[in-house]
Amino acid sequence: MTLSILIWLPLVVAVLGVILGGKIAPKLTVLGTLVTLGIAISFVVRFKSGEDGLQFVTNEAWISELGISYKLGVDGLNVVLILLAAFLFSLSAIFANLREWERPQLFYFWFGIAQTAVLGAFVAQDLILFVAFFDLMLIPFYFLTGIWGSGDRETRVRGTQKLVIYTLVGSLLMLVAAIATGVLAAEQHDTDITYSISALQQLPLSDGSQNWIFLCFAAAFLVKMPAFPLHGWLPDGYKAMPLPALGVFSGVLSKVAAYGFLRIVLPVFPDASVHFQELLLLIALGSILYGSVMAFSAQNVRMVVAFSSVAQMGFITLGIFALNEDGVQGALLQMVNHGLVTVPLFFIVGLLAARAGGSEEIRDLGGIAFRAPVLATLFLIVSLATLAMPGSANFAGEFLILLGVFKAKVAFAFFASIGVALAAVYALRAFIKAMHNRVNPGVDSREVTFRDLAVLIPSVVVILALALYPQFGLEKTETTAKETVAQVQAKTGQLTADKTSEEHQP
Amino acid sequence: MSTTTWGWLVLAFPLAGTILIGLGHKRLGRGPAGAIGTVAILLAFISAVNALISLQDHEREHRQLVSSLWDYAVTGSIDARLSILVDPLSVFMMLVITGVSTLIHLYSISYMKSDRGNARYFAYLNFFVFSMLVLVLAANFFLLIVGWAFVGAASYLLISFWYRRETATRAGIKAFVINVVGDVGLVLGTFFILRYSGTLDFLGTFHAVEQGAFDAHNGTLVAGCLLLLVGAFAKSAQIPFHTWLPDAMEGPTPVSSLIHAATMVTAGVYLISRMFPLFEAAPAAANVGAIVGAVTLFVAGTIALVQTDIKRVIAYSTMSQIGYMIMGVSAGAYAAGMFHLLTHAFFKALLFMAAGSIIGAMAGAQSLDKMSGFKRSMPFTFGCFVVGGLALSGVPPFSGFFSKDEILAFVGNRGDWFVALYVVGYIGAFLTGIYTWRMIFRAFFGRPVPEAVELEHGHIAHAEFPTNPANGEREDTEVGFPGPEHVIAEREWRMKVAMGLLAVGATILGVLQIPMVTEVITNFLEPTFEHSKYAHTHPSDGFVWFGMILGTVVALTGISIAYYIWVKKPGLSTALQTRFRAVHTFLFNKWYFDELIDLLVVRPWGAVGTWARTWFERVISDGLIVGGASGVVKAGSQAVRALQTGFLRYYAALLLFGGAAVVLYFLIAST
Amino acid sequence: MDIGWYLVVSALIFCIGAGGVLTRRNPLVILLCLELMLNAANLSLIAFSRMHGNADGQIFALIVMVVAACEVAVGLGLIVAIFRRKLPIDVDELKELQG
Repeated sequence: MTLSILIWLPLVVAVLGVILGGKIAPKLTVLGTLVTLGIAISFVVRFKSGEDGLQFVTNEAWISELGISYKLGVDGLNVVLILLAAFLFSLSAIFANLREWERPQLFYFWFGIAQTAVLGAFVAQDLILFVAFFDLMLIPFYFLTGIWGSGDRETRVRGTQKLVIYTLVGSLLMLVAAIATGVLAAEQHDTDITYSISALQQLPLSDGSQNWIFLCFAAAFLVKMPAFPLHGWLPDGYKAMPLPALGVFSGVLSKVAAYGFLRIVLPVFPDASVHFQELLLLIALGSILYGSVMAFSAQNVRMVVAFSSVAQMGFITLGIFALNEDGVQGALLQMVNHGLVTVPLFFIVGLLAARAGGSEEIRDLGGIAFRAPVLATLFLIVSLATLAMPGSANFAGEFLILLGVFKAKVAFAFFASIGVALAAVYALRAFIKAMHNRVNPGVDSREVTFRDLAVLIPSVVVILALALYPQFGLEKTETTAKETVAQVQAKTGQLTADKTSEEHQP
Repeated sequence: MSTTTWGWLVLAFPLAGTILIGLGHKRLGRGPAGAIGTVAILLAFISAVNALISLQDHEREHRQLVSSLWDYAVTGSIDARLSILVDPLSVFMMLVITGVSTLIHLYSISYMKSDRGNARYFAYLNFFVFSMLVLVLAANFFLLIVGWAFVGAASYLLISFWYRRETATRAGIKAFVINVVGDVGLVLGTFFILRYSGTLDFLGTFHAVEQGAFDAHNGTLVAGCLLLLVGAFAKSAQIPFHTWLPDAMEGPTPVSSLIHAATMVTAGVYLISRMFPLFEAAPAAANVGAIVGAVTLFVAGTIALVQTDIKRVIAYSTMSQIGYMIMGVSAGAYAAGMFHLLTHAFFKALLFMAAGSIIGAMAGAQSLDKMSGFKRSMPFTFGCFVVGGLALSGVPPFSGFFSKDEILAFVGNRGDWFVALYVVGYIGAFLTGIYTWRMIFRAFFGRPVPEAVELEHGHIAHAEFPTNPANGEREDTEVGFPGPEHVIAEREWRMKVAMGLLAVGATILGVLQIPMVTEVITNFLEPTFEHSKYAHTHPSDGFVWFGMILGTVVALTGISIAYYIWVKKPGLSTALQTRFRAVHTFLFNKWYFDELIDLLVVRPWGAVGTWARTWFERVISDGLIVGGASGVVKAGSQAVRALQTGFLRYYAALLLFGGAAVVLYFLIAST
Repeated sequence: MDIGWYLVVSALIFCIGAGGVLTRRNPLVILLCLELMLNAANLSLIAFSRMHGNADGQIFALIVMVVAACEVAVGLGLIVAIFRRKLPIDVDELKELQG
């Protein structure tokens, strides 16, 4: 079974849904996402952990005049992320099924396109193909937010506008950078033009061009994550997005950005990565601290989760730009972990709002736990995972990230660990204000239904399973993580060696 | 079965109990939950005993057994496996934890029987025991941190058990956050150590230290050990990370007894003992530990003198006693520290249980100001309190006497500036005598309060409506208050059994380690500590005798002073308070630590948060970055919009003339 | 015959069509005028085709006719829809799309 089936199946299902109409589309989409999940699982099962290089490669010429190929492949970097994406889309599809949407066939159509785009971006091994899928991701969310978003019309319009303009600017920069990469590489090495990532790795660019191209890519990815201070679209955008879409957006789409760093930036622009390491670490640190601070002062549960994502993505960036194996391994594990907690968290936000008369403001919540002990317990487990409680896989991820940074730049590890403590504050604050203390008069506390549990239980079970055995992810990613940083490490190793020799001279 | 299998079983039973009670919480409330919880811990205790027996079958040199289930995170430079280390130290801790826990579970069945969160309570409590056992059985830093944090989480859950009380949820989050700070310290400390040891495994690390991995990097080791100490201080409520412990008294009393007296707070002591090869290689860090322990034992003792909440007095006493242990193990008195940990677990758990009984008689009120004269109405509780008090203040032949004096003798024997710590230790013992007996005299002697009188007539007092003892707020009776019925030890056989057994232990456990007669604990722990450089230093007999006499004198003086102030001359304490108003206020406000931390840590972050939310987000992020970008777009679109009139023919004309202009341009250009 | 004459006729028809589009307000007439413009283009295409002696231009003309047919279908559909909603059949009144 080829990867093409995996990535195009959701699109086919989406089109079928439109044809068959609004009655069948929701169920069909759930079925489609589950089948996709099954295919993704089959790839993970067949994946050979210790092997170098890509597996299950599909490589067809696409626009051969421009050197663009339709190249797909799986390796340690994306194998777990594919599984994550398929799983989260299934969850979100079920989540979306729990309520009625206007013109459902269209809603699920865009939903399916989003899944195709995300999966495509994860398996694309050609720069232009990646950019195409990356940009395709934006379109469905434009419609999903604009048409089915939460809040009044004005909120939706503003949110959609900000989201689109922001990420579009980033995407355009990336498109320019991608084209420039191919053209310049061909020019500087006097070869045929190619956009295959593995080929580009063999054709290193000159320092000057690496630097500006790096910045373009970084801008695109950091906006998508989003990272401080490029998060301007986040408050409005997140407020406007419908919750099931928000779950996958925050859970998976932000991971595509982080994944982009690992897939493209580190291997293809190693010199620039080393050159800008401290800048990126600073941005990551800023995201961690700023996101945490915002999360614990936010007055709205959805915003707590939203800003906690900023902080978590900060940790992931921090791990990536530790530029060593520990950091990258931690970042990969943390991507999975963060994805796994986001969807249930946003789902719980929805459940809380349903109990508080539709309001997501913290002051309208309180005291829900007594009549909803199961909800409280599940919320607690997810909260503890979010704050990277040791024993959760999130902790294993954060541990590796911090260790990586500790080895690279000690000071950053110390400052980042403040974020760990702040995470405890914001996660528990939201939990306590919603579940504990006196019952808010406006709250109609009731237990979760079995339908709700269809979303919550699988995610919590997976969170717990991964907490018991994070090695599941780590062993798959190890070989590729090593390869990814090998080139960069050669540079940093050189740099530190230079420094020590300088130190020894006097 | 092998020793490690017993070790795994010790872990398995409480976990099974948690899951069972948790899943069946609807059916198991009230009756069965407590029984299941207690049996689970009892089974764990039996397994621990079996582990002890089978460990004794091994040769002395082979009493450090490691067993690993699966690779947890083995990648890059970490090798975290799910592995346990069974050695005398961990078996010792296992026995203390499971033993005391069993009794406290038993006590809880009665104490919590009318609580609507009964099943939840026992699920949490079992989870706590499981976490604590993970902590002491862990064979590597990673699992240690996991246990460490689990314990913190369980403590959080139990502190804010009555979650309708805002005081309880606030105390819970405070405890959790301070503990997370400790976790972070532990993580960073681990990084420092991992850097040169190359493994997370305890035995591997110790081996590396022995091989001299840190000889050239002693600074790194000291930094690592100091960060480990941050973790130990946070968990063991040592200054300046102690502020959560008094607030943690918001939890149900058995919880205070188990977590905040007998087990969790001693984790720091365990950590330092476990890491002794590191601390001995980094004496600077060990000295910091000893000094902080001494400071804490003194400060906490002074605060305990003036507090009025009975549970808080015991809480400060706990801080103070743990200060002794931390000081002891940091100075190298491992066996003595562990011995004190054991006796303290008994007498402090006993004191808390007895306090719970009085609180029951007071219908939930906890203030000493309201208590008086319970001696006649609650003889059993009184007896337990006296036994606990004698052991705590170190009167021979009660257990606390031997353990405390052993620590102090060892510290004093180190000579040098350790003598100062020795003196502080005895000052602390003096304070202990006063505050302990102040509590006893105020609660049990004097004129019986109405509640006590009523109890003498056979009725337990009931408040008209339940209130939160911390702030007098009326309780939300739906859930989250201890229930309408109150219990006292005199009426509940389970409470009596638990307290009775603890009282016996508090009285006689000293025989394990009578100076110059027995040294059971030292011998038992020897395989763990045999490589310690203090393994063969013993204070001279004369010094020990001197210490014992001094200790007895100091304790009895303290008790006499308390008797004089609170029984002989009842007005004297008020007079002293007015006389030394400044000192009293200072101590009553707990040396202003809460305010200090609030000022230095909490408020700045809060202010940053508000500033970020209200100003930064609006002005910079939304105004400058977004506003700037969208401003340009808006101005541009405004201009273009003017062209969009909506008149179709206007568009057509534009198109036509535009096309014509292009054609014209090319025509002209081509000629 | 010289190709110039064909082109002159074609241009005349095109101008009539364009003038109609610009001056008339009835969408039906506008559509008719558009057809005139398209057919003017067709005429010149076929003229060129004949001049060059190959069929390319004729194929183009065919395609244009197909497009024109589609366009008429859509346009008429729109007009019918407007009529059904009882909106004025006057392009100056239909200016909702203004920015």
